[in-house]
Amino acid sequence: MAEPTSDKHYEEKFEFSLWKLIKKRAEQKDISYHDASIEVLPEFQKTIRYRDKEFEEAAIQKRRQEMLELSELERKLERLKKGEE
Amino acid sequence: MALDRMADRVIETDVMIMGGGIAGCYAAAKAAQHGLHVTLVEKAKSDRSGTAAMGMDHYEPVQNDGITPLEFIKLWEERQHALNGDGRFTDPNIPYQYLDKSLWAVEESEKLGITLKWDDGKFYFMPQAWFGGPRLMLRVHWQDIKPILAKAVRKSGASVLERTMVVDLLTNNGRVVGATALNTRTGEFIVIKAKAVVLATGMFARCYEPEEPLFYKYQMKYHWCPSSISGDGYAVAYRAGADLANMDITGWGFRIRDDLTISYGNFDHGDGIRAKWYTWDGEEIHYPTAQVYREIELKGKDPIYVSADHLPDDYANRMQVAFVDEKMISFKIAEDRGFNPRTHRYELMENHPLNLIMPTGVNVDEDFKSSLEGLYAIGDCSNGAHGCGRSTLGGLVVGDNIHKYVSSAGEPTIDEAQVESQKQMALAPLSIKDGTEPMELELSTRYICKRYVGMFKNDGRLLEGQRRLRSLRREFLPTLMAKNPHYLMRALECRNIMDLVGLHIDACLVRKETRGQFIRLDYTEKDPSRDSMITIQRLDNGKPVLEIRKVPDLKPEYAKEGK
Repeated sequence: MAEPTSDKHYEEKFEFSLWKLIKKRAEQKDISYHDASIEVLPEFQKTIRYRDKEFEEAAIQKRRQEMLELSELERKLERLKKGEE
Repeated sequence: MALDRMADRVIETDVMIMGGGIAGCYAAAKAAQHGLHVTLVEKAKSDRSGTAAMGMDHYEPVQNDGITPLEFIKLWEERQHALNGDGRFTDPNIPYQYLDKSLWAVEESEKLGITLKWDDGKFYFMPQAWFGGPRLMLRVHWQDIKPILAKAVRKSGASVLERTMVVDLLTNNGRVVGATALNTRTGEFIVIKAKAVVLATGMFARCYEPEEPLFYKYQMKYHWCPSSISGDGYAVAYRAGADLANMDITGWGFRIRDDLTISYGNFDHGDGIRAKWYTWDGEEIHYPTAQVYREIELKGKDPIYVSADHLPDDYANRMQVAFVDEKMISFKIAEDRGFNPRTHRYELMENHPLNLIMPTGVNVDEDFKSSLEGLYAIGDCSNGAHGCGRSTLGGLVVGDNIHKYVSSAGEPTIDEAQVESQKQMALAPLSIKDGTEPMELELSTRYICKRYVGMFKNDGRLLEGQRRLRSLRREFLPTLMAKNPHYLMRALECRNIMDLVGLHIDACLVRKETRGQFIRLDYTEKDPSRDSMITIQRLDNGKPVLEIRKVPDLKPEYAKEGK
């Protein structure tokens, strides 16, 4: 993770994997990005675990837990500020 | 004076629909199926117009997970409370319909050739990041929803007037009987006689600065919406005498850097996993309310940043798919700036009001009827049914039922003096030289909202804003000039915006309380007398009326569990 306020990360070259596929298909077939995206999207989608509920729930729960812990930490800091601890 | 001498064109129709976005197109296609003559009037071009012009990646609500309409109302109201505070702001019978008719709406959509299923023939219900709970939101691949819908409208036999701006509604004895309109390319002045009128325009947003802080001409880029969102539906309804609701409530949020928007700039809904937020020096925080953000600013902890580095790879790829579905141009913008959302944090800028959306708009009942006979409102311009899925439902419900009203409504009678007066007003800017450019006046009006209304309100600022607005109206509105019909449209939009900003300030002034994100610095507590009340504004014989009205109760037949 780059520093949030650094300039560095706005200077490096970056390409989205899906956008790269769209651009490539458009060039190969001499079609618009829009038409290329219609061809490419279903293929790309198959590489994503959309219907794996177990994976999805685990990922969601992990983040929920992190948020709960953050809330706890915030509450603790608030109490410390008030001199209650 | 005969109508055909006053107008370049006179159109007679059963139903006129103003606005060719999702709601308007569904209503037009469905009403035409009942054999009605339907005329859809669209300010832009309906193949790529409205809030879903560039596409749509989600649709809600759809009945799922065993949730009943009654349970859904509770979920719906919890969501409203998170934004607007305690109490009800819309008629609960409307959200009841969202869920009760949602499966019917999905079926009807499929029949019109607009599928919500994926390539594998199945639906995909997204988990909800913000509120958790049941899965009622479908992930849809609707990059081309607008061209597909526009095609369905043409196929249905409905007539479409593209590049046509409605000037005002025509009324007679309290009934809406049509509208006057202008072609924004040719300047043709059109009179539309209609037995019923459906408003299906967008929300009202061009009263605040857009979220996009780049130097696009006149700051006309709004990330949720296209630049056409000048509240035209709200304004014509008000001037015709219909009730507008909750003009004190604005949507609010952060301006987000550049134009990455959905999904990386707005990825709280990342299929169930919420983003992470940080202060500039790396302290993790929860997504802040306006009040909390103010404290962050005072402590010198801003700017704040969003991060997606915690997302599993599958989720990062899901967001790429969402880009294609809703705003493919964002890929290019991100790459041009070298922005990699997997490694870089994304700045959230000033927290401010964005637009007037749920629960604002033309006040409607559960059948989407307004307070004026013959006038309906659906989608983002109605109080209670904004957003993609609800716009679809509203369009289909009105389209499926309006024939009942049309068959019993008599022939519309047009008041020619009203037409003449609207024509003179609409065309006046063409004859003004060295006057005021519409966008100059619009930007001054937006400044009033930013400076004198904003997130943190008080009587002093609001009163000064009211005075400044009156002064602008008096001095500059009559001097608006238009060098061509396109600018004539801009002048009409400016008039609409100024009318609605006046209502916005008036509604904020009478609300002497703080509740949810309606924040008054001089009234910091809730006013219990405002619990579950709607602010209603209308024009009665040319005089503005403002009343505070109780939100209707849920109908007893709906309140029965297990219906």
